[in-house]
Amino acid sequence: MSKIVALVPLLPLLGFLINGLLRKQLSKTAAGIIGSGTVLGAFIISVLLFIDVRNGKTGVVEFFPFISFDTVKIPFAFLVDQLTAIYLLIITGVGFLIHVYSTAYMHDEEAPHFARYFAYLNLFVFSMLLLVLGANYVIMFIGWEGVGLCSYLLIGYWFKNPQYNNAAKKAFVMNRIGDLGFLLAVFWLLAKLSTVTYGEVFSADAIKALSQTDITIITLLFFVAATGKSAQIPLYTWLPDAMAGPTPVSALIHAATMVTAGIYLVARTNILFSMAETTQHVIAWIGVATALLAATIAVKQNDIKKVLAYSTVSQLGYMFLALGMGAYTAAVFHVMTHAFFKALLFLGSGSVIHAMGGEQDIRKMGGLAKHMKITYFTFLIGCLAIAGVPMFSGFFSKDAILLSAYEHNKIIWGIALLVAALTTFYMFRLLFLTFKGSFRGTEEQQHHLHESPRAMTIPLIILGVLSIVGGYISVPEVFVAGGDKLGQFLAPIIPLHTHAVSHMEEYALMGGTTLLVAIVIVFAWNKYKTYKEETNGAFGNLLENKWYVDELYNTIIVKPINWLAGFIENVLERSGIDAIVNGVGRAVQYSSRQLRLLQSGQVGSYVLLMIAGMVLLFVLQFFLKK
Amino acid sequence: MNWIFLQVKNPITDVSSAGSYLPIAIQLIFAVLFIAAMMGLTHWLGPKRNTADKLENFASGIESHGDARQPMAIKYFLVAILFVLFDVEVIFFYPYAVNFRQLGWEGFFAVLMFVGFFLAGFFYIIKKGALNWED
Amino acid sequence: MNAIIFSAIFGVVMMFSGVFFSSKQLIRNLAIGLMAALLVLNAAELQGYGLFDINLNNMLHFTSFGLVFNCIAFAATFIYLLLSARDIEQVGVNLAEYFALIFFILCGVGIATSFNSLLMLFLAIEIISIPLYILTGSDKRNLKSNEASLKYFLMGAFSTGIMLMGIALIYGATGTFSLDAIATATKGFETLLTGGLLLLLIAMSFKVSAAPFHFWTPDVYDGAPTVFTSFMATIVKAAIFAAFIKLFEKAYLPSVASWKAALTFIIVATLFIGNITAVFQQSVKRMLAYSSIAQAGFMLFALFGYSDFGKEGILLYAAAYSAATIGIFAILLKMSDYTFDGYNGLAKREPVLAFVNTIFLLSLAGIPLTAGFFAKYYMLVAAVKSGASLWLVIFAVLCAAVSVYYYFRVIQAMYFKTATTEDVTTAPVTINFKVILIVLAAIIVLLGLFPHWLFTKVYF
Repeated sequence: MSKIVALVPLLPLLGFLINGLLRKQLSKTAAGIIGSGTVLGAFIISVLLFIDVRNGKTGVVEFFPFISFDTVKIPFAFLVDQLTAIYLLIITGVGFLIHVYSTAYMHDEEAPHFARYFAYLNLFVFSMLLLVLGANYVIMFIGWEGVGLCSYLLIGYWFKNPQYNNAAKKAFVMNRIGDLGFLLAVFWLLAKLSTVTYGEVFSADAIKALSQTDITIITLLFFVAATGKSAQIPLYTWLPDAMAGPTPVSALIHAATMVTAGIYLVARTNILFSMAETTQHVIAWIGVATALLAATIAVKQNDIKKVLAYSTVSQLGYMFLALGMGAYTAAVFHVMTHAFFKALLFLGSGSVIHAMGGEQDIRKMGGLAKHMKITYFTFLIGCLAIAGVPMFSGFFSKDAILLSAYEHNKIIWGIALLVAALTTFYMFRLLFLTFKGSFRGTEEQQHHLHESPRAMTIPLIILGVLSIVGGYISVPEVFVAGGDKLGQFLAPIIPLHTHAVSHMEEYALMGGTTLLVAIVIVFAWNKYKTYKEETNGAFGNLLENKWYVDELYNTIIVKPINWLAGFIENVLERSGIDAIVNGVGRAVQYSSRQLRLLQSGQVGSYVLLMIAGMVLLFVLQFFLKK
Repeated sequence: MNWIFLQVKNPITDVSSAGSYLPIAIQLIFAVLFIAAMMGLTHWLGPKRNTADKLENFASGIESHGDARQPMAIKYFLVAILFVLFDVEVIFFYPYAVNFRQLGWEGFFAVLMFVGFFLAGFFYIIKKGALNWED
Repeated sequence: MNAIIFSAIFGVVMMFSGVFFSSKQLIRNLAIGLMAALLVLNAAELQGYGLFDINLNNMLHFTSFGLVFNCIAFAATFIYLLLSARDIEQVGVNLAEYFALIFFILCGVGIATSFNSLLMLFLAIEIISIPLYILTGSDKRNLKSNEASLKYFLMGAFSTGIMLMGIALIYGATGTFSLDAIATATKGFETLLTGGLLLLLIAMSFKVSAAPFHFWTPDVYDGAPTVFTSFMATIVKAAIFAAFIKLFEKAYLPSVASWKAALTFIIVATLFIGNITAVFQQSVKRMLAYSSIAQAGFMLFALFGYSDFGKEGILLYAAAYSAATIGIFAILLKMSDYTFDGYNGLAKREPVLAFVNTIFLLSLAGIPLTAGFFAKYYMLVAAVKSGASLWLVIFAVLCAAVSVYYYFRVIQAMYFKTATTEDVTTAPVTINFKVILIVLAAIIVLLGLFPHWLFTKVYF
């Protein structure tokens, strides 16, 4: 493996530096070209790397020793293998499309802010690449923190709006809680194994050195980290608020890439996770609970981006459900297809918002299909994909997850199926309310309606195509023998597993799911082809207010902490620590004032004091010594 | 009778012992006693006739007047200190004069250097005007 | 040898320059030129180009440590002259003599770093001290200067007496002045020897202004013309420390365990009195006097934990402390008001001066990235390695923390306060002055990053 791999993250870093430092000098065109071009370069190298990996050329590239103390050596090294290669393609590929899309979407910004946007975006791509390329947990952590930072910066991109800043802070704080889990897990590994390099941690010797408790704790801590980054219960609440950022950011960071870092972490560490049954159960249940919770909330949301945000949380729950079942390949597969169709949906919603002049409430839209054919069409593809309609990518990945759920735990499978139905329902509600029926916005908006420029529609089309064909890299065995190309590709990292489900059963499951989805679509069509004012029941209100989770957190966590902080500030700090600190200062001042008087200015008294000192020393030396 | 002449029968060989300082101690005591005795004797034996003239400070026969603690020109001190300085340095010639032959040319040059510095100093004080009595 | 002979000759040359030349500028430039020559000559000897080969009967012994120390002292003096030669002119009319006295002191410094006999030590200390008495009183019309000079002389004579008594006792015990012989002295006179060494220790403590023999320091440093205080507090003090450590190495080391108690007492008293008393001072000049006592407390750790490490440390300490203090004094000389308030708003008036002054103060306080940090670090490590009890080290660190208070008061005044009255002014400074200060600050930062650079020439 050659050192050329370093170029993959370095190019975006270069873009970040140029855009960041010269943002006042660069024109918008230049900033856009630099921002997108560097990512395109990274994408091209990633493709070459991918081809290499397909030919079996994987390995670790060491650059320099990063941290070394005692027996612990942490090199700055990249690991390029199958899992990394797939992630590289997703990050740089989708990343590039979103950069291109952004050049049009962000065009109203002033030049310095425009460049700042691209600088952040490039920095994000750099950090994300570092995260997936790192050959040990420490390098991964650098990327992990880096993407958190970029997420914060981009959510608060319009920093003049205090609400957006609050959303950014919320995201950052929530992520930090997760990061603590990551750090503790790494410390635990260091304490037990004195290494954090993947190859060494997963070696048979290392595993033998870990007790079952160690493995459970480490994996649970890693999972805590994953719940932060990938928005799972209980740390998911930041993701919907993160929609404060520009829509392409939501597409790239909060749907396609960053939020899947948690899945990457678990998939990367699958050897440990497979050995920790307790953790597996926890992950599966939290995953499915998150999926259900988010899906129910999404049904009642009216903000186009909020619906997609909750949908993302729900889909991430799906992926964790798969991870909990040990179906790592299925999870990674869903990460990939989800990256395509969720990015597509977000970009589509961005296109809609662009046309609506910033309006995000779907109750004020309607009938947009007439005006924006490409957006509508690609959005439809996205909805079909996420709903899991056969022949679309979501079908294959969802099917793989449902199948493994069915195999392991029927209750979870049942809930997952319900979530699939809910997903279909709220996505088509969104689709119909936005694009069908009659327009419900203002006159002015109606005149303004237009299809978005080509820089926006072309990424939409490409993602639309990917949302269809992306699924075919892993066709279930029942259709085509050896169709699970992804599973075979990832086999060196994630052991293949065969389903213990008969073909008949599998067909029946697919048929059942498909039927369910079809029924829900028809139901949604009937309900929302024309818009009616809805009045919520008690339960509806509960859903619209997101189960009051934010309020709950506020009451049981934020307020007590604020109270405690107030107590510490007023009581401990003021009358305790301050008193001690000032007391020491005063004592020094006082003794200084007294000691100063020794210096009387009289030579006689000086000599007297010196003689006294001499006598003291003589006594000390001759009589007191030992 | 040895003790009268401070002769010890068994001389102390250890020089650090306090005993070897005994003669010095005896000498010290003898000196103090002797002075005290002589002063006492003169006091006791001599006649005492006090007159005003006799109680005057003795100043080599010159009549004294005024307070001795008067500011004096620094030049006196300067000349005095210079005199002492050069006078003391001349002392170094004596050892050289004694060892003149043994020290040979090397010694000669060493002393020449000494005299050189000496003259330099002399030159310096003259140039500085230290010996100019009138301003 | 180069250093001793040439500094004496240059001193005489400077004396006569006052006789023959009337141009102050010429005299000043001559002094600076001779100083550079002296530095070069000493460096040449360090490289193995000694110009003299004289039979010294082992009274002097030139080691690389001593020569490196000379280099530091001479370089510091060179920078000192570059910065403050103009200020020396302000003191009085006998400009050439002041320079001559400085050269004579440097001659003493040369002996102090190379003596191998107690006689030579005595000579060195006296050659250093006597010109200093004169320099202290050089501002003849200033009563404070006269008073300081007299005090210094009286107490200096007192300590000289103690030193001679100590040397006499040592001679009585060993029958020799040679340091080598003291180390291998025959048994039998332990009490005499210990008493002599203790008196010597006391006299040396006086000279480096260690408590409780420091009382002369604040008065003398405060009363002396500021430009000479700078010289006294830095180069002279460092040189006496070099002599002290050399003396300690030979005379005290064989029985070092029995000296720990006395040294601990002196160190603790010095650190405590120096640091605590500095806190309350209102004049920066007087604060620096106490600070020099406090810094001496730290330098004494080199004796306490005597080792190669401690020896390297004292070199670094001497360089760091001298450089920083010379810089601070050079800036102080430009102030019209020596109180802390005089520094108010300096950052606005003279940003460069304020900035370099900050670096110097940070170095004295021992903040990382400055030479002062590593200097203190070496001292404490040497102490710990030699088995100093932990409380002593903790005490030293706490004292260093106290020192931050009074050093930072200056920084605070410069940056965070504004001048309240109009008459607080700074004398105009030239570009050269600023450049030299910046170079000095750069040296401090470089030594703070690469302290080993200083030791490459020392092969003990």
